[in-house]
Amino acid sequence: MLRLRNISKYFTGVKALQNVTLHFEKGMIHALCGENGAGKSTLMNIIIGIHQPDEGVILWNEQPVEIKNVQTAQRLGISMVYQERSLVDSLSIAENIYPVQTPVVKGGLIDFPLLFRQTQQLLNELGLINLSPMTLVKKLSTAQKQMIEIAKAIAKTPSLLILDEPTASLTHSETEILFRILKNLKDKGVGIIYISHRMSELQNISDIISVLKDGKFISTIDSKTPAQEIVRLMVGRDLESVKKSSNVQMEVSLEVENIRGKGFRNISFKLHKGEILGFAGLQGSGRSAMARALFGDEKITGGKILKDGKILHLNHPSEALEHGIVYLPEDRKAEGLFLHSSISENIFSAQLKKGFYNAAIADDVSLKLCKLFSIRTTTVKQHLRKLSGGNQQKVVLAKWLAQEPEILIVNEPTHGVDIGSKEEIYQLLKYMTAEGKSILLISSELPELLFLSDRIAVMHEKEIIGILNREEATEERIAALASGIKTTKMYICK
Amino acid sequence: MQIKERLQDRVFSLAASILILCIIMTFIFPTQFPTVENFSQLLLNLSIDTIVAVGMMILLISGMFDLSVGSIVAFSGGLAGYLMYYHDVNFLIAIVAGLSGSVLIGFVNGWLIAIAGINPMIQTLAMMGIVRGLALMLSGAGIQNFPYNFIYIGQSKLLGLQAPVWYMIFIVLMFSFLVNRTVFFRRYYFIGGNERAAKLSGIQVEKMKIWAFVISATLAGIAGILLSSRLGAALSTSGRGLELRVITAVILGGASLSGGFGKIFGALLGALFMALINNLLIIGRVSGYWQEIILGIVLIVAVGLDQWLIRKMEK
Repeated sequence: MLRLRNISKYFTGVKALQNVTLHFEKGMIHALCGENGAGKSTLMNIIIGIHQPDEGVILWNEQPVEIKNVQTAQRLGISMVYQERSLVDSLSIAENIYPVQTPVVKGGLIDFPLLFRQTQQLLNELGLINLSPMTLVKKLSTAQKQMIEIAKAIAKTPSLLILDEPTASLTHSETEILFRILKNLKDKGVGIIYISHRMSELQNISDIISVLKDGKFISTIDSKTPAQEIVRLMVGRDLESVKKSSNVQMEVSLEVENIRGKGFRNISFKLHKGEILGFAGLQGSGRSAMARALFGDEKITGGKILKDGKILHLNHPSEALEHGIVYLPEDRKAEGLFLHSSISENIFSAQLKKGFYNAAIADDVSLKLCKLFSIRTTTVKQHLRKLSGGNQQKVVLAKWLAQEPEILIVNEPTHGVDIGSKEEIYQLLKYMTAEGKSILLISSELPELLFLSDRIAVMHEKEIIGILNREEATEERIAALASGIKTTKMYICK
Repeated sequence: MQIKERLQDRVFSLAASILILCIIMTFIFPTQFPTVENFSQLLLNLSIDTIVAVGMMILLISGMFDLSVGSIVAFSGGLAGYLMYYHDVNFLIAIVAGLSGSVLIGFVNGWLIAIAGINPMIQTLAMMGIVRGLALMLSGAGIQNFPYNFIYIGQSKLLGLQAPVWYMIFIVLMFSFLVNRTVFFRRYYFIGGNERAAKLSGIQVEKMKIWAFVISATLAGIAGILLSSRLGAALSTSGRGLELRVITAVILGGASLSGGFGKIFGALLGALFMALINNLLIIGRVSGYWQEIILGIVLIVAVGLDQWLIRKMEK
């Protein structure tokens, strides 16, 4: 259906794409993978008309076409679900789904009854039966918003649908709904391009996988190819895998007794030195709210927190920092980064000591941290917005390590990070536990939780429903607990 | 640093523009422009604006602005004048009173914006009207006949330069040092860059915001005292339109309305650039009506050029 021939694209001296030739067929889910900076986004931007290729030809149904802008792409039937949300919070679901093709009555007024009917029908088709078209988007959860985003793309009845990391904010069950929708579309003959960093997903949903690396097309392979082989193609080397090891010490560093607040209640656990305590649960199960409360960013209305046996009262993140607790936020761009500041400024943004700032020392320390964290940059004066997602995340981690924390709360530490950086972040977290630091790990990726955690606490409906030891934790058990199913057989230590 | 980066640095490009403008003017008006009198007058004229602009720059770095500074200028001079004229208060106490009033206004602005969550635009717009009203009540049609000591503050000279120019130089140097080198002031860049991330980095955003408004209002208060001392009169119309002139200077000087950018020297250079253009128009006998039109065009061209350059560099 869509054929790209010898596509090249340059950005002032940098070859973003070189001679890429790819074919996308009807009724097929074609996965695209590659590390950050491999050229996936540039390629997609060319297909939907944001960028124009410097060289090469695009054929649409065997006819050469020039996709000058997004409107042209839409006329051809190409539609894309963006990674960054494009919804307007203050408008209803229906208005968001049909921003342009809104049905009108004579005189140009919006035909709301028809609009709502049309939307309801679409939502039903997508299995989102519990949502009303009249609901305002701001009332939806992140995952629901993502689903609406997908509905918006489908509403244009595309013949080619592009999805860029669609499951990044979805939980397990929603991902399944999405996959069902995609399979349906595929059966109807829609071509689908699927971009994701999650290997297991790619293999699950796609028919074929194409790998890009450094702007070049590497190969197209069957989706049954073993994951290790795919990773090798993407990275160009075998990844040294982090050994599954444990550094747990006897000493308890943080003890939480029955704390509650907005979005979480009855939370009790003990965090040992050198331990990684994982937190699993669905979106909105209270994991993030609890984590923010432990960092003093959200109010705690009852219960107590003990660190090294002493009671803590945290009213502001600065107080948590003074006690050696740091927090790596979930949404890197919105909560963690100063995009227009340099690496060293970012690293020193959490400097607690008041007084004079010495740029030379800051640059020096930052340079050492960049080396330790293998942050790939030519200078620590580089602005953050010019780094890849993985490197940005490592800068935020470096910033917290520079504070020499005792307890690290990390919320989705590898969200939207490429595989190479992911491994490096895992190594860093392990390295910190070896130094006796404790880590509270919140993640929606079960393999990550299972791989890193010494114990896994599962949250459901604002409470901890169970804490599993490493030996007893499996994906199935965690998923069951997260949806509130406690089986009698299961050993639950609380 | 490479030329590319230099061009993106507004302090550098503005300084270069000022230099070029000065050279051109020296050639066109060799007898009027490059004279000591002209320059000392020019600096005197921009000193009040610049002192206020320093505070505004700090606010814009942190992503906020204050529309009430012009009214504060009239208020602080008015309060000091009122106390001296009607109640024979000692000039020092009158000055302290004027400044304290300004601090209080800044604190109220900051508290309502940072803690109560009122939008800075709305809050300071309202405060602009309230404080202007207070200034009118205090100085009415204007107060004159101040004690000599008070006049001396703004009208004395040192090395051929009027006192307000020296205050301006001192304030610019001091704040430039503080903003560049202290952890406290550098935090304003983080607040402007990403407020949420700043809070999660342990920065006490609310307190810092209140401080920013207090600093800005205090500097406006100082400017008000200097202005009434220099004029020998407290006028309720002082500083009318000053807030927008100052914001223009600060934006020219490299600040962005969305926060996170700007240097204190930029505020000085922005004000200097505007004063030079005014000077050019006056010496060139261009009608006064044209001044505002031309300044408006200069602002659009400067900011537009900047955006264009940035986009060009990114590609």
